[in-house]
Amino acid sequence: MPTRGRDRLSLMQGTLDVLILRTLIFGPQHGQGIARAIKESSDHELLVEHGALYPALQRLEEKGWITAKWGTSSNNRKARFYSLTRTGREHLGRESTRWRRLAAAMARVLGPETEPS
Amino acid sequence: MAAARRRHGARARPRNGAQLISFFRRGRTHRDFADEIEAHLDLETDRLIADGWSQQRAQQEARRAFGNITLAKERFYETSRWVWLEQLVQDLRYACRTLRQSPSFFTTTVLTLMVAIGLATVAFTVFNAYVLRPYAVRTPSSLYQIGWRSPTSGGVSFRWDDYVELRNRRDLFDDVVAETSRFVSSDGQALAAALVSGNYFDGLGPRVLLGRAFTAADDQAIVVLSHQAWRRLYNGAPDVIGRALALNGQHFTIVGVLRPEFTGLGGFPQDVWVPLTAYAPVASPDLVGRPQTRTIELVARIREGVSPDQATARLSSFIQHTVDAPPGEQAQAFVQPASPNPFSVQMLALLSPIFAAFALVLVTACANVSNVMLARGVARQREIAVRLSLGASRSRVVRQLFTEGLLISLVAGVGALAFASVALRAALVTFFGTLPPSVAAILRVVPLDLDFRVFVFAMTASMTATVMFALMPALQTSRLSLIDGVRGTGGSVRHGSRLRHVLVIGQVAVSVILVTLAVTLARNGAAVGAIDLGFQSAGLLSINVRGEQGDLIARLVPVLAADARVAEVAATGGNPLFIRTRSVAAAPGGTSAAHPVRYTFVAPEYFAILRVPIVQGRGFRADEARTAAPVAIVSASTARAFWPGQDPIGKTIRIERPQGRPVDEVPGYTQLTVIGTARDVVSGLVVDGPDSGHIYLPITADDAHATAVLVRGRTPRDLGPEALQTIFRRVAKDPEVFEALPLNEMRDLQVYPLRAASWVGFLLGVLALGLSVSGLYGVLIYTVNQRTREIGIRVALGATGAAVVRLIVRQSARLAGIGAAIGLIVAFGGLKALTSVVRLQTISLVDARAFAAAVTLVIGAAVLAAYQPARRATRIDPSQALRADT
Repeated sequence: MPTRGRDRLSLMQGTLDVLILRTLIFGPQHGQGIARAIKESSDHELLVEHGALYPALQRLEEKGWITAKWGTSSNNRKARFYSLTRTGREHLGRESTRWRRLAAAMARVLGPETEPS
Repeated sequence: MAAARRRHGARARPRNGAQLISFFRRGRTHRDFADEIEAHLDLETDRLIADGWSQQRAQQEARRAFGNITLAKERFYETSRWVWLEQLVQDLRYACRTLRQSPSFFTTTVLTLMVAIGLATVAFTVFNAYVLRPYAVRTPSSLYQIGWRSPTSGGVSFRWDDYVELRNRRDLFDDVVAETSRFVSSDGQALAAALVSGNYFDGLGPRVLLGRAFTAADDQAIVVLSHQAWRRLYNGAPDVIGRALALNGQHFTIVGVLRPEFTGLGGFPQDVWVPLTAYAPVASPDLVGRPQTRTIELVARIREGVSPDQATARLSSFIQHTVDAPPGEQAQAFVQPASPNPFSVQMLALLSPIFAAFALVLVTACANVSNVMLARGVARQREIAVRLSLGASRSRVVRQLFTEGLLISLVAGVGALAFASVALRAALVTFFGTLPPSVAAILRVVPLDLDFRVFVFAMTASMTATVMFALMPALQTSRLSLIDGVRGTGGSVRHGSRLRHVLVIGQVAVSVILVTLAVTLARNGAAVGAIDLGFQSAGLLSINVRGEQGDLIARLVPVLAADARVAEVAATGGNPLFIRTRSVAAAPGGTSAAHPVRYTFVAPEYFAILRVPIVQGRGFRADEARTAAPVAIVSASTARAFWPGQDPIGKTIRIERPQGRPVDEVPGYTQLTVIGTARDVVSGLVVDGPDSGHIYLPITADDAHATAVLVRGRTPRDLGPEALQTIFRRVAKDPEVFEALPLNEMRDLQVYPLRAASWVGFLLGVLALGLSVSGLYGVLIYTVNQRTREIGIRVALGATGAAVVRLIVRQSARLAGIGAAIGLIVAFGGLKALTSVVRLQTISLVDARAFAAAVTLVIGAAVLAAYQPARRATRIDPSQALRADT
């Protein structure tokens, strides 16, 4: 159903943005690299549908948080490399704080891990 | 996935728009984005192969992990802020293409809307020019007219001295301007002239187009022209400044031309403005010398901080010593906003029927177009269904249909403005061409410009029309089920045709209402025009005095009587057909109850000049007129009412004082002896018919009661405008103090509104009828198309051509019948309601023949509309119809 899909997407949006920005802290990276990095750094918990990544990248680029440039990958393939801008870095700082507070608050509310009775 | 597919269909041609988007996006093209995805897939495949996957499986896995590629492209496309613009361009292009494919559809809808919106625009332009248009002066809201009232009297006319006194009331007013308007003759033409105080232009502040306006320092013979007069008299010549303009034989120098938006303070547009002090010597009676006449109107700009109520209160002593209130009454001041046509609820209520008629035509036109669109929508169901099934979103389809409507209405709106300006010009020419000539010569209308308000109105009307006619079919069609749509057997067809039937019924009803109204008006106009006035109006001129009369009548009558061109002349206290009801409380002598009865002072020659026979007794004698003897001639109706079945000659009539009744006080008359009876005549409104009673009292031209003159030339051509001017000039320096009107034209003028209304009604009615014929036709043609198979089967089973025709005609008759019935009921109810408000003797609003005519017309229209579809139905070839695709 289109409406439910849109709900989930908007919920996901902020999350994905932060993940992308966080990945780019270590330097310029192309889309496929970002997808890999997210998967690996989250211990395969977060599965990003690669297709969803590119519109997100486009959006971040239009907001001016990242810039992009065509370049050559390590295995000599053409790829579009993204790098973090200063405003992107600032945004990431704000968002990270927000996410940590949210996660901590959620953890407090949910309490110690228990089996549902 | 489903959502993705749907969206994909809506943008089946993304590359089309990609160029446009990239233009706004500083380089990032769709192509570039696709390349990036391609690169991603390659990188991922490489990576997987490195992990030990086979080439083929790696490729599959990369694609799987990516998810929906198209969806990603979609998202990319959607992130552009300019998507809506591009979609609009797409929609417009598609709409243009669609409309180009069906030029006849496009032309008819545009023309229909254009005429309807154009007519509504004409109506609105007139409304705008007369009601909405504010004074083109500085802060019009602080302008107030000063007047006075007492229990039985009142007025707004003052003397020049009063103006001088008020002008110095700085505690109340910033400015006071004086104005008196009259017609002046300029080389045989009558010009509407405003004689104004020198501070008029400074005080009001209208804008000047050429030259200058005059100031308080000017009292030489100069004149300022209105824009309209400048165009009319001088064809808008730019070198008009400094030329001389003759006003009543005296030369005035033109010093300026005003801009078109200012036409004077009253509702009647002025041609020229002249300093009152400069004109005073020409004027008769004198305006600024001694004795002064009371003809000047005062408009004051109230000081800031002074409320109108305060101004009224502080004016009371001024008013009390200035005006002559009837004895024993206290005069009180009042101030009223000086706007010529105050915008009020009453005004709107009065105009609402006219606007309703125009609005009905607009609604009918929209219904018609809506109907056509609906039919088209049904015909396009398959196309729409295909688009839907390819994944176009419903909102996109609706938007597409809406864009088509928008395009049509925009073209129609622009066309309507052009149509309106042409129609207005034609209407004005017709108006002046059909008015009685003497009225047309002096009548002025304010400039009817298509200003921005009119433009906004036309565009709003056309946009509203779009919503009315485009959205409904759009929603209707887009609701259809995919499978039915693709198969061509629309599921919503039933619902759609019901709506279209309702629209057609509405159209028929509206045209019945309008035609009934038009026929009623026309018949009444003809009836009023044919009323026997009871006197011979042909060849008679009525002369009245404009403004204060003094001894003008007493001096005019002997001059007329001595002139060789004049055959007959009679002084009167008011000429017939001039709408002035003067009544006196009268009763047959000896009885108790007195009733208001119309009365007129007349010279002995009155009955002869009007060719009104004295049916009993005798006419007035000269000595009775000279001595104002207490004798009376009564109309036959009064004789019947006062003394039924008796000889009225020698009977007495008692005249009572008003005592609160709405009648005149006639001092010196208490008892009258009847010496004769005259035939009944129409002396007031023609529509009121012959007087229900009339008492005539004798006077001579010297009497103060003599206010008007009737004159008959030896031949009809003897008393032309020039001849009259020379005669009038022998009596007064300013010949325009006399107003001469042929009595026949007074009658035409009275009938004119009815005739004009019936023309407009006919125009609208015919238009509405034409629209309903085309609406009916559309529905029937559609039915024939829908029922081709069924009719084919019927014919195959042996139905005759007549039976098929009956089938179609029956449907036409049913729709027209229901519409006609509704229209009749509404028209009857409306006219019945009107009858209870308007009581007019000679007008019958509920006119059986008008209803019959309307019904006949509509039946004719229904048959006309059914003719072609029925013919088409009879031509259906059963063998082909049965094979037809379902």
